[in-house]
Amino acid sequence: MALNYVIKYAATNVYENLVGEALWQFLIAPLNSGSQQIISSEFRNSLQIPVEKSINGYGFETFRIHPKKSFTSIDFEAEFHLIKDHINPFEKTNASNLEDEFSQLNSLNFKVEHATFLKSTALTKLPKWHEIDFIYSEEVSIFENMKNLNLWIFDGFSFKTDVTDVDTDLDIILEEKQGVCQDFTHLFCAIARSHNIPARYVSGYLHQGNGYFGDSQMHAWAEVFIPGCGWIGFDPTNNLIAAENHIKVAHGKDYSDCPPIKGIVYTSGTNQTTYSVEVNAQQNAQQ
Amino acid sequence: MKLNTNQPSFSSYQRDNHFYDEIFSENNEVKEVYKTLLNLYSEHTVQDFARLNEKAKASFFNQGITFQVYGEHETKEKIFPFDLFPRIIDHKEWSHIERGVLQRSKALNHFLWDIYHDKKILRQGIVPLDLINSSANYLDQMQGLNPPGGIYNHISGTDLIKHSDGKYYVLEDNIRCPSGVSYVICNRTALKRALFGVFNHYQTHTVTDYAENLLEIMESVKPRGVDVPTCVVITPGIYNSAYYEHSYLAKAMGVELVEGRDLFVENDFVYMRTINGAQKVDVIYRRIDDVFMDPLEFRPDSTLGVPGLLAAYKLGNVCLVNAPGTGVADDKAIYTYMPQIIKYYLGEEPILNNVHTYHCNRPDELKYVLENIENLVIKPVDEAGGYGISIGNKLTKEEIEKVKTVIKENPRKYIAQPIMSLSVHATYIEDSQSFEPRHVDLRTFCLLGKDKSFVLKGGLTRVALKKGNLIVNSSQGGGSKDTWVLKK
Repeated sequence: MALNYVIKYAATNVYENLVGEALWQFLIAPLNSGSQQIISSEFRNSLQIPVEKSINGYGFETFRIHPKKSFTSIDFEAEFHLIKDHINPFEKTNASNLEDEFSQLNSLNFKVEHATFLKSTALTKLPKWHEIDFIYSEEVSIFENMKNLNLWIFDGFSFKTDVTDVDTDLDIILEEKQGVCQDFTHLFCAIARSHNIPARYVSGYLHQGNGYFGDSQMHAWAEVFIPGCGWIGFDPTNNLIAAENHIKVAHGKDYSDCPPIKGIVYTSGTNQTTYSVEVNAQQNAQQ
Repeated sequence: MKLNTNQPSFSSYQRDNHFYDEIFSENNEVKEVYKTLLNLYSEHTVQDFARLNEKAKASFFNQGITFQVYGEHETKEKIFPFDLFPRIIDHKEWSHIERGVLQRSKALNHFLWDIYHDKKILRQGIVPLDLINSSANYLDQMQGLNPPGGIYNHISGTDLIKHSDGKYYVLEDNIRCPSGVSYVICNRTALKRALFGVFNHYQTHTVTDYAENLLEIMESVKPRGVDVPTCVVITPGIYNSAYYEHSYLAKAMGVELVEGRDLFVENDFVYMRTINGAQKVDVIYRRIDDVFMDPLEFRPDSTLGVPGLLAAYKLGNVCLVNAPGTGVADDKAIYTYMPQIIKYYLGEEPILNNVHTYHCNRPDELKYVLENIENLVIKPVDEAGGYGISIGNKLTKEEIEKVKTVIKENPRKYIAQPIMSLSVHATYIEDSQSFEPRHVDLRTFCLLGKDKSFVLKGGLTRVALKKGNLIVNSSQGGGSKDTWVLKK
């Protein structure tokens, strides 16, 4: 059964002093591919500045706003309507032979093919000194291992806002054992990559119908590439396999490749930013 | 002609047999191409040279052809010392160099295309994947992108030295923003001003055609659908040490010199602010490093770049010269694979020698390295800026043992190369008021465009002015010489 989604994104930026020049780039539009079909997408701002559509460095759609007159506050509002197909991630995961699966990971061709998502980055670097007691086993499939990793993070780390930042290193997360979805996703990617499993950081929305952690802002989870199955999403913050409740916007090596908003603002004084995200779903009766 | 030590200007010239001398052969004979020049120079007195040297210096200073030396307390504006004695390269020797640097540029371009597309050379294990993965200069954003005309390294600066065996060796290829070409042209002008008459006795190729060729190359890689492209040069600004060169090139090409704030992107096209309104820009010769180019994509605090530039480039609406992400191909580790890279893409043997490299991860080569450390330079493969380099003949016995242990612990991390000696060339030395031998190298400039290439017939001969010094960098007290390439 497919789901019909309405996603509302709103942000307000207020500045103490007049802003002479500014430019924002938003990476918030749901991806129009795979299991997601975009019906409509709208993006408005309180200054009625025409919105430009562009792409980021990895080809994902962005919105840009470049005010040409000064202002002290601006509101952004986006609304997306989409249909998300029902996904059963288990469908494609049970066929392959274990030995084949693991030997593929070690082939040079595979490593070249997936080099981008096997490299460690500043945000997904595992500290050498820290022992990680997650047990990786070649007795079970990669999919099972990733499920175990999802659970290991979910059980061992607690969700807590305002203790970490978007660029907090993994050694602090491992030490404090707390953080938010970005941090857990970085940790997931780092451990998966350390076992030669390609992993990418996904930015998107979570439908929070059942009280999952999504922070009423944008959400983050990981996708790993399993030979023979393709990319499968794991959400370590909620110990879930990404399915119809996860609406993808973009992916990258880590957070720094896909922050929802990038801005260049020339002003003095302080500023205040508030966001909100609302995800509403209804069963699509026609399908 | 024998070396006449009674001539005032060459009175203290002492040939050192350890090095290749560009002017005097082993039995102190003046080499054929320099005979006329030396005769002409011996007509001048010591005082003449002292005066000409002062004049040349003043002329550089007055024209503002300077660079910055960043010191602890203050930044100094200095001239790049110019030497009165030109280097001469005969026709035959030059054609070898020219074919060699062009071959390297083309091979590097193929290599860049490959590692940003199919990655065949990595899949076949000819170049190790780890070298690319560990490079901070590899830009994932460039994957799958087809630059206009298929060109990445439009401008390459290959550095050569002549070893004691009399052969040229490549030290490195610079394919990010190689600088120095403006000095080549200024040196020619300065020498013509100082000693015009000497040019009548030699048929020397011009070097002033560089700018027009650069412009043609830039125009050849215009984006699709553009008829007559608007080209610009973008500079980080007046505080950059190569600002003179940026302004020279823009002026000589007849195009605008801009800074980041002079450009903006709208609907994925790049425009330049002019007094007549916005003008679309099609080809940008950028003298800004990758990471400062676009604050929306790379360093967000960069004020030197243009927000949205990378997206405009990715969508094919503007061409960047050189392409972003070329830096992955000009580092030390890739250099050691250049012979293989040339063979792989061009099916040719390398024309110019690489300095031979021993990879310590190969057991037989490791054995050789451990047995011959005193004749080798040991370099870590992954460190930049000269860190961790050991020069074998400068080590004590204890230090040699220490280096051996370090290599054995992690052989993968080290490469070794023979100790190269730079050739020497007669250079005017102010203190002794005479010509003395000093070490030199040669930077060449090669341009690649769509179905077009050009190698500047000349180059920047850099000279280490301090006696015995092997470092020719301008920041380390180096100077430069006019470099003549003879027509026949």
